[in-house]
Amino acid sequence: MAPILTVNDVKLTIDGKPILKGVNLIVNEGEIHAVLGPNGAGKSTLASLIMGINDLKEPDSGEIIFKDKLINGLKITDRAKLGITLAWQEPARFEGITVEEYLKLSGRNNPELDVVECLELVGLDCSYLSRFVDDTLSGGERKRVELASILAMRPKLAVLDEPDSGIDFASMEDIANMIKTMRDRGTTVLMITHREEIAEIADRATLMCDGKVVQTGNPKEVGQKFKTMCVKCEVRNPELVGGE
Amino acid sequence: MATKDVLDTVAKKFIQIGLPKDLFEKNRFNLLVDRNRVIVRYPAPGVRSEVVETPTGVKTKVYVEPGTKLEEPVTLCFGAAETTEVQTTEGEIIVGEGADVKFQVYGAMAEGIKLKHKNKLKVRVEKNARFEFLDLHYNGEETFVELDTETEAYVGENAYFRSVFKQTRGRAGKVRIVLKATVDKKGVAVFETKMIGKKDDEIYVEDVIHLNGEESRGISKSRIIAVDETKATFVGETYGNAPRCRGHIDCSEVIRGKDVTVKAVPVVVVNDETAKVTHEAAIGSIDKKQLETLMARGLTEDEAVDVIVQGMLR
Ligand SMILES: Nc1ncnc2c1ncn2[C@@H]1O[C@H](COP(=O)(O)OP(=O)(O)O)[C@@H](O)[C@H]1O
Ligand SMILES: [Mg+2]
Repeated sequence: MAPILTVNDVKLTIDGKPILKGVNLIVNEGEIHAVLGPNGAGKSTLASLIMGINDLKEPDSGEIIFKDKLINGLKITDRAKLGITLAWQEPARFEGITVEEYLKLSGRNNPELDVVECLELVGLDCSYLSRFVDDTLSGGERKRVELASILAMRPKLAVLDEPDSGIDFASMEDIANMIKTMRDRGTTVLMITHREEIAEIADRATLMCDGKVVQTGNPKEVGQKFKTMCVKCEVRNPELVGGE
Repeated sequence: MATKDVLDTVAKKFIQIGLPKDLFEKNRFNLLVDRNRVIVRYPAPGVRSEVVETPTGVKTKVYVEPGTKLEEPVTLCFGAAETTEVQTTEGEIIVGEGADVKFQVYGAMAEGIKLKHKNKLKVRVEKNARFEFLDLHYNGEETFVELDTETEAYVGENAYFRSVFKQTRGRAGKVRIVLKATVDKKGVAVFETKMIGKKDDEIYVEDVIHLNGEESRGISKSRIIAVDETKATFVGETYGNAPRCRGHIDCSEVIRGKDVTVKAVPVVVVNDETAKVTHEAAIGSIDKKQLETLMARGLTEDEAVDVIVQGMLR
């Protein structure tokens, strides 16, 4: 399979603190690729750089390549037009915008858009269409609407930052199925998480620790390594990234 | 009453600045005034009214009979299809005991005209009545209106009054909006103002709510978007004068441009130890995460701003 996203030796320092220390990652077209790693490993920072959000338009050095195109420095809108999108770990709230409007905006270039189906796939019924995407939605509902909006958009690459956080354990299977549906409909998924159970649905997984990629491979093996070496570890495990 | 020709001319100019076509096509108006001429007048059931043309505008008195309940809103329009020096409108609305009605009032100032509009309104919402007053303003992008409007309301026992002032398209012009309410026992007053100012528009909004009755409630909510060199001031005053009354002021002003000047002044005064009045005020540019979310779905920055602003002004 051809790579859809290549992250090549990406380094980033924020306020004098090295956050990404030479990240290498290849996401293949059509796969669900999980990025596992403890809190503070740099997963969200990497996601921001891929989308160009949070004033992170480009790394200090290294390349981010989407389908043979260098996207360092590109505007968010232009990246979205290439087919990249992102779901925030804590999605924004919008006053006066309904779920239906939000899904229609997200899917305005999707000729097969079916907003009711998007909601059903994330476990919400059509009564949510008229709800506002504001703070009257619970955290879990808001997260589901965010995932529905990605289904609506049907991008080429979706970066999902902790899609499982704020979602109760019982519904985890819904979310896992939804992510598989996303992939089956042609969206490559880069899924960030710090729970190895959810990473198991991935086709491949990458383990990040302390701003570096430690391993990429089979999700079970990567998940096992994460479980044994990272879960109890605070931020960086010298056994993984070497003592400094 | 005017001829069909006059109505057609006015309709064309008002639809051009965004008034819904349906209002004209389906003859929705109970009263339509162009400057100082009554063009349409069609009574609503249970609503008695007197309308007098004056040299510069109209004077209206409306009495909603007690117990009147209307599904459809009473629809009024006070507009100007052409430039005129001043337009003065004066009104009195009494909503009888137990009535439940909604007035939808369109202020329409045709594209390109200049006008000073002065408006004074007195409202009395009697015991157990519900009254919603939606004041929807439509101006053209090249219209310049100096609007000075004052509303004084009395909200009776267990009554509900909601007054909404909305101007979400075109230019605001130079606007002074003053809303005052005195709220009796268990009554509720809700004031909402939603406006957008552009170029050198000047917006001044003042909400004053006196919670004088036990367990009365007041909400004063404003959303002002200031673009270009707009100057905008919001003053919200709520007085908690009675036992267990509750008031809240919620104002949010969004600035877009380096040369705007915005001010928010929430004033809360409590004269009873069981009263509670709270406020939140926010002034800032458009939320970055909202903006970036929409851009990540492929909207340009300007499109995203428009979606966010129209949502806030909804
Ligand atoms: N804007 C920022 N300013 C300073 N430090 C930051 C900023 N964003 C992230 N960091 C730091 O970068 C590191 C990685 O954060 P993050 O990418 O959010 O990790 P993860 O998503 O893996 O939990 C953390 O130490 C965090 O404190
Ligand atoms: Mg994170």
